[in-house]
Amino acid sequence: MKPTHVFQAEEIVAGYDNKTVIQGVSLAIPSNKISVIIGANACGKSTLIKTLSRLIKPISGKITLDGKLISKIPSKQLARILGLLPQSPIVPEGISVADLVGRGRFPHQSLLSGWTKKDYEAVAEAMRIMDITELANNNIDELSGGQRQRVWIAMALAQQTDILFLDEPTTFLDITYQIEILDLLTDLNRKHGTTIVMVLHDINLSARYADYIFALRKGKLIVEGEPSKVITSTLVKDIFGLDCLVIKDPVSGSPFTIPKGRYHVNDE
Amino acid sequence: MNSSSISKIKKPSLNTPRNFTLVLIICFILLGVCVFASLVLGSRLVGLNEVIDGLFHSNIDSYEANVVRKRISRTVFSLLCGAALGVSGALMQAVTRNPIADPSILGVNTGATLFIVCGIAFLNISTANEYIWLALAGSAITAVFVFGIGSMGRSGATPIKLVLAGAATSAALSSLVLAIMIPRSHVMDEFRFWQVGSVGSGNWSSITTFIPFLIIGILIAIISAPALNALALGDDVATGLGVRTGILRLFAAFSAVLLCGAATALAGPIGFVGLLSTHVMRLILGPDLRFVIPMSAISGAIILTISDVVGRLIGSPGELEVGVVTAFIGAPILIILAMRSKVSSL
Repeated sequence: MKPTHVFQAEEIVAGYDNKTVIQGVSLAIPSNKISVIIGANACGKSTLIKTLSRLIKPISGKITLDGKLISKIPSKQLARILGLLPQSPIVPEGISVADLVGRGRFPHQSLLSGWTKKDYEAVAEAMRIMDITELANNNIDELSGGQRQRVWIAMALAQQTDILFLDEPTTFLDITYQIEILDLLTDLNRKHGTTIVMVLHDINLSARYADYIFALRKGKLIVEGEPSKVITSTLVKDIFGLDCLVIKDPVSGSPFTIPKGRYHVNDE
Repeated sequence: MNSSSISKIKKPSLNTPRNFTLVLIICFILLGVCVFASLVLGSRLVGLNEVIDGLFHSNIDSYEANVVRKRISRTVFSLLCGAALGVSGALMQAVTRNPIADPSILGVNTGATLFIVCGIAFLNISTANEYIWLALAGSAITAVFVFGIGSMGRSGATPIKLVLAGAATSAALSSLVLAIMIPRSHVMDEFRFWQVGSVGSGNWSSITTFIPFLIIGILIAIISAPALNALALGDDVATGLGVRTGILRLFAAFSAVLLCGAATALAGPIGFVGLLSTHVMRLILGPDLRFVIPMSAISGAIILTISDVVGRLIGSPGELEVGVVTAFIGAPILIILAMRSKVSSL
């Protein structure tokens, strides 16, 4: 099992150029759990996960891992604890699955060591967990969207970090693949204790798969907690500005949101 | 971890590209052929005996033996220049994440040329040592300029914008070169000597001037290859893997400019070698830069040396500049690559 870490953000303000998007967010990521960040479009979900995973430098505020500022931890050392899968990674032309997954080993390799037995094992295990071992020698261009996403997650797994950030890992995938990816991430969390923090669009899948939810509105954290506490009709109205009915998901028992628009609403 | 899951993945596919040993052997055979051709062929064909005389019997002073001796330095020089241009091309492509980057396409060569012409015209310089520093300054400034222009606007630095910026800059700088040169006949003579000479002007003194730049440049390139592999997946992924992208780009671009600037200073502007050598290797070996970078040095050396031999044969009894030959082969390939390449921003 992965060790426990204390990952905290204190009053972070972040954004691009002169536009601040995140306006004073403080949070603590629950260790060895799956956390999901939700919120309406342009609420700052993506900016928040980018800031937490050090892709964007916060304008002010502190982000700490086990009490140390992440900006002060050497980048390769940090990359052995904290992994990240951004929204649109680039696929180099003609790259094979094994080569791409293998690039996740970068922070574990030094100039002189080259490829060690540990590297081969980590890559093999990552491919086994994501069930892409058979595809090892295939070209990425030949794969379906779902398979591609599994390859990218395998790359992040080969990095063998205790904490993994994912920015919308299910976007552009159809429902079967969405469930498949979320199941695989749950495997990872339950079997290995990996702390997972991700941005998801689908509120019902968030409620089902998250142990803990952070809800943002206009760059501020307005509510956080277990799905049953966060996903209520009042709070969903606050977060998304949408009227809805929240029922119990008959499959998982988690809260299930049914939106109410202007049309197709039965009179009671 | 059970052993069967490891054995399913053939190790070579992870670490070494398929057929790497075979490719390496073929490259070295080709390299040998090139060297031999470069010693033997030219406006005067030299027999095997004379080659051996020229190489090993320094006391024999026949005309042919001297021709061979002159061709030895020329061959060594073209091998080194080709290696420098090949690695420089591979680095520029990796740094800009642009498959059609090359010292000549990005205008870096022309920047070096302009500085050298200015040096000849206004500072009266004429030695290889002085050329090198001017060429490096010219290359560096042009590289920064072209990249700056190419990254303007909303979509960042796309391959097409970079190539356009490079072509425009190159055209502007070329006309500046002409404007400075044409009214000054002494500059013209000196410049023609520098440019026409191409690799033919390579002598042992320019080789010794060149070697430190080549070693430093290639060393930095090889050291940065694993990090450049990570950078190929995008800046965000690279940062997540612990790469400091700004510093990496700075180092890699520095060594690209070092290699291209030094080669240009000594051999004159030679285009397309960086593009050709890298793409051949990428086609055969795949995108892993740990192999593409060093192998581009070998393929660059082969391509430039062959082009030089071809130029000597076509232009006989004189010779055709090697830069003209590489441009003839390179331009159509650039067009094909530009049409094929996916537009991706940084």
